[in-house]
Amino acid sequence: MTEGGSGLRLEDVHARHGVHGVGLQVGSDELLAVLGPSGAGKTTLLRTVAGLERVTRGRIYIGDRDVTNLRPGLRNVSMVFQSYALFAHLSVAENIAFGLIVKDVAKAEVKRRTLRAADAIGCAHLLDRRPAQLSGGERQRVALARALVREPDVFLLDEPMSNLDLELRVETRAEIKALHARVGGTMVHVTHDQTEALVLGDRIAVMRDGLVEQIGTPEDIWRTPQTTFVARFVGSPAMNLLPGDGPLRPAGIYPEPAWLIGIRPEAVVLGGEGVDGLVERVDVVGEDAYVYVRVGEHLVCARVPSRGKPSGRVTVSVADAHLFDAATGRRV
Amino acid sequence: MRRSAWWMLAPYLIGLLGLVLIPFGITVAMALTEYDLINPPEWLGWANFRELWHDDGFRTALMNSLVFAAIAVPLRLGIALMLALLLHRRAFMAGSARTAAALPTAVPEIAYGLLWLWLFNPSFGPINQVLGPLFNRLGVLAPRWLTMPADARAAIILMSLFTIGEMFVILVAARQALPRDAYELAEIEDATGWDIFRRVTLPMLAPVLGVLLIRDTIMSLQLSFTPALVVTKGGPPPHSTTYLSLFVYRNAFEYLRYGYAAAATVIMLALTMLAVLIQAVILARARQMRR
Amino acid sequence: MKRLLTAAVAALLLASCSTTGTESPKDNAPVQLLVFGSPDELAAYRTLVSAYKGGQVQLVEAADRKDLITKLSTSIAGGAPQDLFLMNYRFYGQFAAKNAIEPIDDQLKKSTVIKAADFYPEAMKPFQWAGKQLCMPQNVSSLQVYYNKGLFTKFGVAAPKPGWTWTDMLTTAQDMTRDAAGHVVKATEPEAGATPPAVHGLGTESVMIRLAPFVWSNGGQLVDNDAKPTRFTFDTPAAREALKNFIDLRLGYGVIPTDDEVKAQDLVARFTSGKLAMLLESRRITPTLRAAKELSWDVAALPTYKQPGGILHSDAYCITKASKNKESAWKFMEFAMSPEGQRIIAATGRTVPSHIATAKSNAFLDGNAPAHAQIFLDAVPSLKAVPTISTWPEIEDITEGILENALYRGDKLDDVIAEIDKQTKPIFARGEAS
Repeated sequence: MTEGGSGLRLEDVHARHGVHGVGLQVGSDELLAVLGPSGAGKTTLLRTVAGLERVTRGRIYIGDRDVTNLRPGLRNVSMVFQSYALFAHLSVAENIAFGLIVKDVAKAEVKRRTLRAADAIGCAHLLDRRPAQLSGGERQRVALARALVREPDVFLLDEPMSNLDLELRVETRAEIKALHARVGGTMVHVTHDQTEALVLGDRIAVMRDGLVEQIGTPEDIWRTPQTTFVARFVGSPAMNLLPGDGPLRPAGIYPEPAWLIGIRPEAVVLGGEGVDGLVERVDVVGEDAYVYVRVGEHLVCARVPSRGKPSGRVTVSVADAHLFDAATGRRV
Repeated sequence: MRRSAWWMLAPYLIGLLGLVLIPFGITVAMALTEYDLINPPEWLGWANFRELWHDDGFRTALMNSLVFAAIAVPLRLGIALMLALLLHRRAFMAGSARTAAALPTAVPEIAYGLLWLWLFNPSFGPINQVLGPLFNRLGVLAPRWLTMPADARAAIILMSLFTIGEMFVILVAARQALPRDAYELAEIEDATGWDIFRRVTLPMLAPVLGVLLIRDTIMSLQLSFTPALVVTKGGPPPHSTTYLSLFVYRNAFEYLRYGYAAAATVIMLALTMLAVLIQAVILARARQMRR
Repeated sequence: MKRLLTAAVAALLLASCSTTGTESPKDNAPVQLLVFGSPDELAAYRTLVSAYKGGQVQLVEAADRKDLITKLSTSIAGGAPQDLFLMNYRFYGQFAAKNAIEPIDDQLKKSTVIKAADFYPEAMKPFQWAGKQLCMPQNVSSLQVYYNKGLFTKFGVAAPKPGWTWTDMLTTAQDMTRDAAGHVVKATEPEAGATPPAVHGLGTESVMIRLAPFVWSNGGQLVDNDAKPTRFTFDTPAAREALKNFIDLRLGYGVIPTDDEVKAQDLVARFTSGKLAMLLESRRITPTLRAAKELSWDVAALPTYKQPGGILHSDAYCITKASKNKESAWKFMEFAMSPEGQRIIAATGRTVPSHIATAKSNAFLDGNAPAHAQIFLDAVPSLKAVPTISTWPEIEDITEGILENALYRGDKLDDVIAEIDKQTKPIFARGEAS
């Protein structure tokens, strides 16, 4: 449907409330997930790209156009709001076609493109209904169809799945990924859900306090987190962080006292050779058990299959670790 | 309904009964009599209504009220809407501007009337001081607000255009309550101001506008006569700014014909109900079409 | 069924109106006197009230006549009416016909302070209804011509003379209509951009009571039957002529100001500020004129056609029938009508006393302006009253509108006469006469 978007480039962008210098690039057929806790500035960043927030410093390029000072209507972007922003007084078809109608596109053309977008999203059977008669999931589809119909240069999605229940989220995630694969286009997807980011994003930008901490493929983010924040934010339960001169350390590594050792729960081995510890608590979730072991003065979380979950005294050792500088939080 | 609900409604119901329904009943009863408040009432049957039918003064007052409502209500609503859309955002001096827009409604009616009496003064009033030279250059006299029937009616309509404070305040609140992201979306879709007004603002404000329309129609048909009385005394002759309410007041309190005046009131009420009914039907149809 | 309904309605209305309570006179309660007037007139009443030593009198001041009528009727209905009210004979008919006024024949006969013969019969008669004296008139004023002596001297025009005619007045008014430079002008239709005259020769309201004396002076009749009128008689030659000359004052001769000018500044204000050479008015504006210190003015007799003719202006004290304080009210009325009371009011200049002896004394002819106050007394024998029919207020309102249009918009004479007849016939029919 679209021959790829035009790509997006941000250069040292500052915005008034919550973006303090962001530089990144999104390829013309790339889906960038912007991940971070609430207050990180990800929605502000999205709105800045849309033109709803003003850039106080830096530049924004869509394709090879400098859109920094352009009003939203001229940037040729589409946005799906968290609340979907559907017009209650218009039908689904009229909602989808809104952008075309205000541009005085011919009626036949409007109908054709509306139908095409609705088909692509899978809400063509809802065209005559009104938003009040739709479920949450259906409304989201309409919002997506509306973003699609204009064939913009950049798609912006602001936490579009936060209003859906878990099962619907999983399903929708897959559909959006499939849609992007089919249709292409430059997409920026803002979310606070790390699973969503890991599944959807071609690349992920992790944001904290108005800055991008790390940007990379999901693999990069998972395997080589660049800061302790990224390391702990991605992965559930969070990575264990122990001091360098603590009781546990991976074999063959001699960390400095000023370092922190990061150990994912999956990398903690119970039983066998290792340091003594006492099991304080075990959370069983289906096939997994999360065992909280006290080693010295630290509590270490280990993930083991729930069948053989230990209790009492165990030995703890580390299969794999990440090393960070305690002062800067950066990877060593 | 629970008993406590009835208890809570009681004051309102008592007021409704005692201050609205019972006086209404008395008025309707009075309309069938001749009553001067001094001697006991005398039964007349429909005679008052028959006399009203032939009374030129009543016909004029009726026409005046209908025409006034037909012209003033859309203008008032339009102005209130326009001002509300201009002033609802937080902007430099917007708060003061909003206060200024709503203020004339807070002025007591007699003071309001006296103020306009001065403004409309043919020789010394500010309005004709400004309009006089302009009109003279076109070779005509400045509008003779207080002495020509058409100009006087225009004057009363003009006076009513500034007391839109209530509708203005309601519309500002309504506009501010509209969802912000609908407007942001329209911005992103590059809709022009006119498109946004036509396709977003107006449809979303339609319910409020409907209610205000009905309410203002009722109020305009029963237009308080104080401003008209103070400024034009119901003239210029014959009766060009005598509205139904003034007609009722005159006949009741100056000529001591309370029965006759009550009959006029009953007709005024019937007309108002008719107007409201027509509007309600039209609005309900419009809502139906949207479904 | 009808009876039942009437009874139910009456019960409902009366129950919601009057209070219970027998008519126990509360002689110690203050007597309430309802009046209206300009600030100067009100000051006169206040002086009278404070001079009364026979008891407490409370002055209730209405905004204007219509407000007074409203206050009176609603207070009667409310069961706590004012005890005394001052009302012009032209407006008391509706209350007389509704039996709301207490006749005072008996009190008058028994009184040791005043007697019926002490007062001008021309003023007493209009206040008699169905053979009874209902109210006591406080004055016997009439329509006369006030003129600005200073302007007449300034333009070197002869002041109005005794016995002058309508034509004389017209000529004088024309001579006195001048522009700012002092040249005689004739301003009939207002034109865009033209400067209006600085001084108009004459000022008059466009109401029936200004026209009536000229109809009578021309030997004509105003209505078909003075006692029980059914219509105006402007189709008779004498009345028609008087009407025509009156209407022509504006558009025919241009001697009176336009309606816009009058709306911008009313006649009395125009007179005191030197914009009017002559003004047709009754005695009531004298206090206001006296207060205008720079104005040099006097009065002249109303001009005549064929015979002397004048219109009575009179208001009287009336006791409300529903009053609970009639004795005290009568006592105050006695005082107000006594030589002492009449003298107090006369001193303010507001009235031409109805008490004959007081009128002829220096209480009235006190040397204060106007110098020719005697003409008010000379006019009394030829004064005539308009009919006191109960619907006269409505007739005055309607004819005011018709005459205003006639005067300022130049309606055709025959149309005016036809309109007056058409509009007022039903109102005459509804009215009750004495």
